[in-house]
Amino acid sequence: MSNYFYVAPEQLIRDRAEFAQKGIARGRSIVGAIFDNGVVLVAENPSASLFKISEIYDRIAFAGVGKYNEFDRLREAGIRWADSTGFTYSRGDVDVRALANYYAQHLGDMFTEGQKPLEVEILVAQLGNTTRPTKLYRIAYEGTISDEPRFAVLGGDAETIKSRFAASEDSLETLSLTLKNAVGALAGPDRIIEVGDLEVGILEDRGSRRTFTRLNDDQVSELLR
Amino acid sequence: MGLPLFSASDDPGPSFFHFAQSSGLTPPVSNASAASAHATTVIAVRYDGGVVMVGDRQATGNYIASRDVRKIEAADRFTAIAISGTAARGIEFIRMAQLSFEHYEKMTDTALSLEGKANYLSPIIQRNNLSSPLLVLPLLAGWDGALQVGRIFEYDGAGGCYERFDFSTIGSGTPFAEGTLRLGFNAEMDRDAAIELGALAMYEAGDNDPSTGGPDFVRNLFPMIVTISSEGFQELAPDDVAERFRVINERRTQSGGVAGGSLR
Repeated sequence: MSNYFYVAPEQLIRDRAEFAQKGIARGRSIVGAIFDNGVVLVAENPSASLFKISEIYDRIAFAGVGKYNEFDRLREAGIRWADSTGFTYSRGDVDVRALANYYAQHLGDMFTEGQKPLEVEILVAQLGNTTRPTKLYRIAYEGTISDEPRFAVLGGDAETIKSRFAASEDSLETLSLTLKNAVGALAGPDRIIEVGDLEVGILEDRGSRRTFTRLNDDQVSELLR
Repeated sequence: MGLPLFSASDDPGPSFFHFAQSSGLTPPVSNASAASAHATTVIAVRYDGGVVMVGDRQATGNYIASRDVRKIEAADRFTAIAISGTAARGIEFIRMAQLSFEHYEKMTDTALSLEGKANYLSPIIQRNNLSSPLLVLPLLAGWDGALQVGRIFEYDGAGGCYERFDFSTIGSGTPFAEGTLRLGFNAEMDRDAAIELGALAMYEAGDNDPSTGGPDFVRNLFPMIVTISSEGFQELAPDDVAERFRVINERRTQSGGVAGGSLR
């Protein structure tokens, strides 16, 4: 038999939160923002193959910060959920809010009941159409879900980046301007992020069913010029 | 359904079909009694820059159930799937294939190779056909981006996958279409010649097989013709298709219903 020591619930939650925050703060941040014609997700990511931003469904994208293996599993579960929901009902019935809620429930469960909380923060974005709004949902490590009206920042340095981005933004801008602002906010005043270290994905209507595109280095340089 | 999370050891990976099976999304197949005729003709012909596919539009039960069915669909931008056999199973099969290819691409961030897609379908066909009388026999054609050629894959009833380097047909009109294709095919055909040959073979099948709908001049409904090339999956405009069948029909009318000594 093992011995149990009493730990106050407040203390337990604090310890777990601290643990998760530490893990998340180790990674680089991500900015997701709505521009005049869609949604752009920007991550600082030196790897060109281990992605932080990904397509979930026709009009839904995913971004994750923190431990790669943990958010990648959430990404896969999101794709499976979306594909099977669309297969069971119809493609138009796949809505980001339901997915965001499932993510929030899972992260919340892991935070209170898991061996350890997940060291991740995720963002799910939906490009709107005539029947659904454009949405950004940020879900934190403990399951807090927030509906972000214009932009969302994930990662350890979120507050600083958020204030830098907010300063440059008041109404919806073009993709090029929004991307410049996002990259500027991620980098801060004394740093320049190389194009090769940027991962950019957008949701934009271009006449086909699937709206997600990963932008390559040339496209990003062109937009940042 | 909730968030489908798996531990690393029982994760179904990027295969949508295996995931769907493990989560009970696909209905179990049972040995119910129903007969199925492969009342259809779909033709695939290789040409120097891709593959032409021609498919009739008629759904046949004990009578003609529909005259404007689409039996060829794009599985993704560079791949087409055609079906023969039980309509319900065929439609489910196409949806499963379309979704599986896209699912794999999203999960792994790489597209499946054409051969990968062809092999992937084998166990799905096998699972359906060996445990149910509601048979489905598909035909897969696509543009192989790695080899820069059009390729055709046909299947037998047990799911065996065979690549064809000339042409392939499925459905009850096969004997009549195949006769025309065997006489008319040559490896150096261009797109237009392949369309012409495919349309002619379809005309023959529609003329001889009661379960294949040939050109319907009364309703202005014609078999569908698509090409899969480096440009992707492209469907010919209805007017273009109508004109090609009108020309064939005109010739046949002049020669009293027979080809008249040459393949035309």
